[in-house]
Amino acid sequence: MTAAAPAAGPTTAVVRTEGLTKHYGAVRALEQLSVEIGTGVTGLVGANGAGKSTLIKLLLGLVAPTAGRAEVLGHDVVTAGREVRAAVGYLPEHDCLPPDVSASDFVVHLAMMSGLPRVSARERAAEVLRHVGLAEERYRPMGTYSTGMKQKAKLAQALVHDPRLVLLDEPTNGLDPAARDEMLGLVERIGRDFGIAVLVTSHLLGELERVSDHVVVLDGGRLLRASRTDDFLDATGALLVEVLGEDAQRRMGEALASHGLVVRPRRQLLAIDAAHGRPDLHDLVRDVACDLGVGLVRVQADHHRIEDVFGTRGAAS
Amino acid sequence: MTASGTPSRGVIHDLGYRPYQGPRLGEGAIARALVVTGLRNAFGLGRSGKSKVLPFVLLAFNLLPAVVVAGILVFVGLEELPIGYARYASTTQVLLGIFVAAQAPVLFSRDLRHGSITLYLARPLRAGTYALARAGSLLLATLVFLLSPVLILYVVALLGELDVVEQTKDAALAVVLALLLALSLTGVAGLIAACSTRRGFAVVGTIAVLLVGNGLVSAVQSVASFEGADGVGEVAGLFTPYSLYRGLLDAWVEGGGVTPPSGVGMEVAYVLVLVGLSAACLAGLVVRYRRVAGR
Ligand SMILES: Nc1ncnc2c1ncn2[C@@H]1O[C@H](COP(=O)(O)OP(=O)(O)OP(=O)(O)O)[C@@H](O)[C@H]1O
Ligand SMILES: [Mg+2]
Repeated sequence: MTAAAPAAGPTTAVVRTEGLTKHYGAVRALEQLSVEIGTGVTGLVGANGAGKSTLIKLLLGLVAPTAGRAEVLGHDVVTAGREVRAAVGYLPEHDCLPPDVSASDFVVHLAMMSGLPRVSARERAAEVLRHVGLAEERYRPMGTYSTGMKQKAKLAQALVHDPRLVLLDEPTNGLDPAARDEMLGLVERIGRDFGIAVLVTSHLLGELERVSDHVVVLDGGRLLRASRTDDFLDATGALLVEVLGEDAQRRMGEALASHGLVVRPRRQLLAIDAAHGRPDLHDLVRDVACDLGVGLVRVQADHHRIEDVFGTRGAAS
Repeated sequence: MTASGTPSRGVIHDLGYRPYQGPRLGEGAIARALVVTGLRNAFGLGRSGKSKVLPFVLLAFNLLPAVVVAGILVFVGLEELPIGYARYASTTQVLLGIFVAAQAPVLFSRDLRHGSITLYLARPLRAGTYALARAGSLLLATLVFLLSPVLILYVVALLGELDVVEQTKDAALAVVLALLLALSLTGVAGLIAACSTRRGFAVVGTIAVLLVGNGLVSAVQSVASFEGADGVGEVAGLFTPYSLYRGLLDAWVEGGGVTPPSGVGMEVAYVLVLVGLSAACLAGLVVRYRRVAGR
């Protein structure tokens, strides 16, 4: 399952930060971030303004940290920014494509801007444009592209110099569901088949949980959580129970609590913290409901949305 | 996944991802590639069809007098060139001004306006190197504009069997003056374009500074000369690239002129201001792009 990672010890870190901090005047964009990111696909999740783009710009050595340090592929981002940028690909969150140039010409040019000789730049550009799925339209001016095609062109330029790490800042931004699935599929292939480490941001955890091996969650510039995606889902995955009947929710909650479970009401539902992993939880819920004589409407695993993570944090602190 | 070996040629299905193992060139080679691409872009090459129209129309008009001179040589013969090498640029300065004003935004505004600057700055090229490479493209484009008529005139002069030594000396002086002028125009137009993401503002601003500024200086110089206050005219000449060029042209090549710099001190001042202006503008460009990078 984790064939790429060494068996013992910490995995070879692609990115390592220690107390990384960035303030813009009074705005604390990133605060004391210490995290390690390995190979494979890592999702970087957080609400608007959480500091995702700030972290990426720090990792590229484009902005200087207020405090702390960061290493990318073994290079310090402050003192060896150029080495970092030579080995990293970047897909920015905002528009960055000149409208009067074709994707083909533009990607060739940017390959050369990463140091590839012209002939290799042509070959590589043709290859990555094929991988991202830009066909004949690659010869058209990019001003005529749909949002989906633009994101593909942006992805192609991030890959053209065969980086060892790509930083993808909201690659699914503005895409319809089909295009988003295609983009996520590409992200997954880059990490698994191309062997390039990926750090991909989104404000939706649900979007990234499918494709990422690890998830890092930021909230207001602080690290909320960093773990394997599986652990993450196990730990936060509460069981949601809906019951029907006279005062059913309160009675059910109290009965479950008396069995040593952590139960919180959430709107018309009860959320049972399943972190401690009782294998018989479903049976227990069914039996308790039966004893109380309340109607059991549904029992389902929680949807792992970013709001739940924040909820966990709020309860813990 | 591709462990089964390299797929044989002619197989259509997905070839899988192949890592790149070839050379990766350093910052110098990357900057050179950027200069060459930028030079092509300044003439609309590698861009849309209609972006080639303006630069080539201007270039054609700029070459017209030189071509006419060549025609006269062929049909009539020449005792001397009807127009000096260095005087040429002063005569066609309006065309030159429009060319520089219109093409500087191609190199300096587009990447800022479309956000593509981010993609450059996320690569090994430093912000300062990017700025200087862009300036290099504009400088070369301006030199193409300035020196191609000089080259035509020189060939005409040699074909017309004029004195080779004298012609070569005059042409060389014109090249030096062209270099000084091109540097300062690049600096001024580049800085204005880099500070304005709107192409229209950059074009109008540059034309205002270059041509309108020069018009004002010329007016002051005429009045000063008429009033017998040549010193005032000489100092006024320090304020725009065109008047600096004209002053040195009058002093070094042709003699005469309205209020040319008198004495070595003033000539040195003219050269220093031209060079200093260029250097200051280039430094401004470097600072400007470092700021952009830090955002
Ligand atoms: N150049 C800047 N100057 C001032 N404040 C900034 C700057 N860049 C970012 N910020 C602030 O830093 C905080 C984090 O911004 P950042 O762009 O990193 O968030 P994000 O997680 O990428 O959000 P989004 O999902 O909206 O892209 C925000 O409050 C933002 O306003
Ligand atoms: Mg962002």
